[in-house]
Amino acid sequence: MTVLYFLLALALAAPAAAMDANELLKKVDRNLTPVSYESYRKLINVEPSGRTKEFVLFTVKKGREKVASLFLSPASDKGRSTLRLEDNMWLYIPNVAKPVRITSMQSVVGGVFNNSDILQLDYADEYDVSKLEDLGKEYLLHLKARTKTVAYDQLRMWVDKERVSPSKVECLTEASMLIKTLYFKDIKDFGGGIVRPAMVETDSPLYKGYKSVMMFANVRTRDFADEVFTLTFMPKLDTLRQGQ
Amino acid sequence: MSSLQRLFAVFLIILNAGVLPAAEYTFDLSEIEKKPYGFGGFLEFRPVLFGLDREAAFYRIRYFDQEQESIRDDYNLGLRLEGSYEKGATGLFFKSDALLNYTDDDWSDDFKVLEGYLALKPANGFSLNAGKRVLLWGKGYAFNPVAFVSRPKDADDPNEALEGYYVIDADFIKSYDGLLKTLAFTPVLLPVTDDINDDFGRADHLNFAAKLYLLFWDTDLDFMVFTGSSRTTRYGFDFSRNIGTNFEVHGEAAWVIDFQEKFIDNQGRLTTETADVLQALFGIRYLTANDVTCIIEYYHNGGGIGVDDAENFYKFVDRAYDRYLAAADSSQLFRAAQLSRGTLAAARPMRDYMYFRASIKEPFDLLYFTPAFTSIVNLNDRSLSLTPELAYTPITNLDLRLRCAFLAGAPQTEFGEKQNNYRLELRVRYYF
Repeated sequence: MTVLYFLLALALAAPAAAMDANELLKKVDRNLTPVSYESYRKLINVEPSGRTKEFVLFTVKKGREKVASLFLSPASDKGRSTLRLEDNMWLYIPNVAKPVRITSMQSVVGGVFNNSDILQLDYADEYDVSKLEDLGKEYLLHLKARTKTVAYDQLRMWVDKERVSPSKVECLTEASMLIKTLYFKDIKDFGGGIVRPAMVETDSPLYKGYKSVMMFANVRTRDFADEVFTLTFMPKLDTLRQGQ
Repeated sequence: MSSLQRLFAVFLIILNAGVLPAAEYTFDLSEIEKKPYGFGGFLEFRPVLFGLDREAAFYRIRYFDQEQESIRDDYNLGLRLEGSYEKGATGLFFKSDALLNYTDDDWSDDFKVLEGYLALKPANGFSLNAGKRVLLWGKGYAFNPVAFVSRPKDADDPNEALEGYYVIDADFIKSYDGLLKTLAFTPVLLPVTDDINDDFGRADHLNFAAKLYLLFWDTDLDFMVFTGSSRTTRYGFDFSRNIGTNFEVHGEAAWVIDFQEKFIDNQGRLTTETADVLQALFGIRYLTANDVTCIIEYYHNGGGIGVDDAENFYKFVDRAYDRYLAAADSSQLFRAAQLSRGTLAAARPMRDYMYFRASIKEPFDLLYFTPAFTSIVNLNDRSLSLTPELAYTPITNLDLRLRCAFLAGAPQTEFGEKQNNYRLELRVRYYF
């Protein structure tokens, strides 16, 4: 009977723990970025030789499923923009003068980062927590993609308990093969209650010796009209930028 | 050193441009400062080597009275300038090309304003533009039957900037929840006079075009119309949708009212017939697990030149050339040159084409290196072009592209009668 009660308690506790874990994931998302915000990011691709290539982007996000990014540099990419609206993604190149559909696994910048890294939605919108481990100072969340359209089928996320912010994320295939690892570093106060890692370093066993770095600046809460996240608005994204 | 060796030497020198040492990671806020003005562009050096086909109709039309050569080299120096000035809801934009060319021991230059316009954006859902602009409609990669208010793309280089037309256009955008997520309406006024848009069509008319865009059920849908007296009325439709995470389908259809279909008889005489014609395109874009992007498109040009008419033209050129050789009479060759304009000298002048392009992103872990292969096949006469290509960005803002187009086809076919057998081109661009 004792065993029965124990098993019953375990069964009842499991969904509660899973719900808490999903709530934890939502809190991680909110600690990383507000629901609607603008930010500037610098992407740096580092080759084994030490040579680097840098991209600067302006990104706007609204709600759960609307993200747009505009390339500010280098000169060869300036004016390009990408838009994500739920599962739809487009790339606009000024010379071509019309947007084309792209996929999340492609990369418009080359290197380790792909489009889903640049146009990232909240983790809680794309993943469910399948398992939560308590490692003392950190939680380890095992995340499973909700649909096949998500770039990485599984994630393993180490979350600092005190800051409720990730320190490391491993991105895996369905067969649990490691694709890339993200390291969240350099905690910074961006103002407006936004305290988050200002740098994300990425390496990949698929690109041995290569590394990519994403640096954040001017992360600010800001609301946008829905019309900003449309194909027709893509050539005009630069008009959203305000003086610094 | 031959022209070919010089070309390769230039390519290899640039390929081994210096390695820059890694710097500490910094993000200076001056890099993101928004200024009211912007300026940039690129400097381009583009040498081209042509392997000439002395038996081809278009070689004879162009070079019949010149020294017969097998190879010709071209050197092009280009400067693209782009600028903008924005204040509040108003902006001024321009884009121009300056070109210096050296070919056949002769220099020539050209300057063109590609775009220059005033933009007003009083709200996120409404904008108004006036001036010279490129409004490229359609979802096709290499061909766009529904591009009613823009110049035709070069299918050999579809990502190149086009020259715009003088228009007044507006965008009205509305977003929704549910299956219909976006609705946008773009009306366009396009005047044609002797000075403005004079190459668009008949002068002294004001033309109207419009496009209605929907994002419905995760599918891009466009409905277009053009009407006016500079060109005949036409209706268009296009769509684009992702079928899977790595598979996209797209298509276009244009119904052109009262199109002037052209026919060429065996005496080289041109006649026209008025008919409603369909121009359509269907294509796919597929990304493989190995990062190979494949684009395949079928293009039907309902108003294109038929196979028999094309053969009549090429046979006429042959007879005209024979007459020139026999009697030094070039009048028929001049007539052939005139006949070719607007018929077989135009891009993709015949009825059915297939386009294929495959590009591989960074094979062998070579960052910023993209080899590609493109082919355009004329399905009517089974002639084709084959273009392997290497693109590389060795340092930031420096783009290199080396490609060679091989033209193959029997006599009296489109690619068989072009003036070149091959075209080897190096393009070096430095952006600033």
